Amino acid sequence: MSLSIQQLLENKGITPKPEHLELLKTRWEGMQSLRSNLEGIAIDDADIAVRSIPGGDHIDN
Amino acid sequence: MMQTSPYVVFLEVITLTTDLHLKSVEELAPLLASKTLSPVELTKAILDFAEESQPKINSYMAFYREEALARAKEVEQEILQGHYKGMYHGIPMALKDNLYFKDKITTMSSKIHKDFVSDYDATVVEKLRDAGVIFTGKLSMHEYAWGITNNNPHYGPVCNPWDLDKIPGGSSGGSGAAVAAGASVASLGTDTAGSIRIPSSACGIVGLKPTHGRVSKYGCYPLAWSLDHIGPMTKTVKDAAGLLEIIAGFDHRDPTCIDIPIDNYEKQITGNIKDLVIGINEEYFFKNVDADVEKAVRASIQSLVDQGAKVEVVRIPSLQYAEWAELVTSLSEAAAIHHSDLQKRPQDFGDDIRLLFELGELPSAVDYLQAQQVRRQIKQEFTEIFNEVDVLITPTLPVVASTIGDDFAELNGQKVDLIDNIIRFTGPSNLTGLPALSVPCGFKGNLPIGLQIIGPAFKEGRILNVGYAVEQANPQRTRKPNIFANI
Repeated sequence: MSLSIQQLLENKGITPKPEHLELLKTRWEGMQSLRSNLEGIAIDDADIAVRSIPGGDHIDN
Repeated sequence: MMQTSPYVVFLEVITLTTDLHLKSVEELAPLLASKTLSPVELTKAILDFAEESQPKINSYMAFYREEALARAKEVEQEILQGHYKGMYHGIPMALKDNLYFKDKITTMSSKIHKDFVSDYDATVVEKLRDAGVIFTGKLSMHEYAWGITNNNPHYGPVCNPWDLDKIPGGSSGGSGAAVAAGASVASLGTDTAGSIRIPSSACGIVGLKPTHGRVSKYGCYPLAWSLDHIGPMTKTVKDAAGLLEIIAGFDHRDPTCIDIPIDNYEKQITGNIKDLVIGINEEYFFKNVDADVEKAVRASIQSLVDQGAKVEVVRIPSLQYAEWAELVTSLSEAAAIHHSDLQKRPQDFGDDIRLLFELGELPSAVDYLQAQQVRRQIKQEFTEIFNEVDVLITPTLPVVASTIGDDFAELNGQKVDLIDNIIRFTGPSNLTGLPALSVPCGFKGNLPIGLQIIGPAFKEGRILNVGYAVEQANPQRTRKPNIFANI
């Protein structure tokens, strides 16, 4: 089951402007086409981009 | 008996023969240091021009006339007593209205924050104050920095000083227009997908996005935490170098700030680019570019080759995913910041940014994390490229400034989406965090064209030196806008 953009936003407590729904659909589809299939990108690489820094910020100081 | 100011004789000569508001910091600083020009007269001249130009370009959100003049008198005494601090001592300047000033309203050019008062100064404000800068006011921006037109629904559009019907670019459009016109001697902007470099290119000034972590963002209202930067917007490359030297440096209050010594950027500007290796990426940075923009940028590159630089063509395959990664990251982070207001008071946002916040609710956590992995790969490829070349050169924008109110840009006779195209060449440096400088390199008709120089992390001195070589080789570098001729 796939939710519409309107349902998806309403589930988050957000009421989209009715005039925006068509534009949101077009823009979202545009983003999906930019994403393509990510072929050649090491998505499951062990060295992840989002890091946890033990000890908090600026531990190096 | 009335006391005679030591400046009186010299001032009459200067004000009668020159336009102070058109001068750069590198021209004004020696006059201030040698006590030939009083900071009070300079501040008054800039404020007078800023107020006179406001109905034309609408670059200011607020004027601080009385306190600026009071502060200028204090600064005048400091200089007269022999305590000249350096290049920016006595320079009047207004800043983008997302940088906090203690006990002052900071609006982000929004309706929701129209009465927001910070109880502390942003780190960059504190540093500029200590350097002797005189604040003349706050400058307009695209609402919450989330757009590139500066066509603000609450405070009116900012107009491009080169053509009042055109956008100044954004989101730091007030800073771009004010510096280009002369309503602020220099300024600071913030940059999440190009918001320093876009208005700098569109308004014909210099804009520097430093390395992520080089300048503290403490006291700057965020747009997207991992992509935001603060940097100089100035009339010349040397002005940008001097300004960066003041605002750079470690700050424990900004978790993204990195503790690396500050270079003497001005000293690195020699203009010598012999044996410099320039990287050119044709597939991404020279694809779908306005023919006149491309011609001007390639001509500038040729002028660098004539001065002894070499060109190497480079490939950066993962750049094909850069637009997607930039959009997912910026949209998601911005939506997270404004989520609660989007639920409770969506009608208080301008229509364009409300749409972007709604769009930012759509990517999944998986999309966001995959975008970060893409980002990491792009960073790695750029690191490898900088083992082969010293800098990359690209157009800053694929087009020149568009007409206020249009949501499209003209690209070689075709109408193309404005926002997607404007951030195409600037966005990758926000993903990588690498330093990038926009320098004027020519005109299409009356509209400025910018050239972008990207360098390795923390090599701001290098890109400033290349920018200086571009600036000096530009035969139109002395051309100035005249907003009062544009009626």
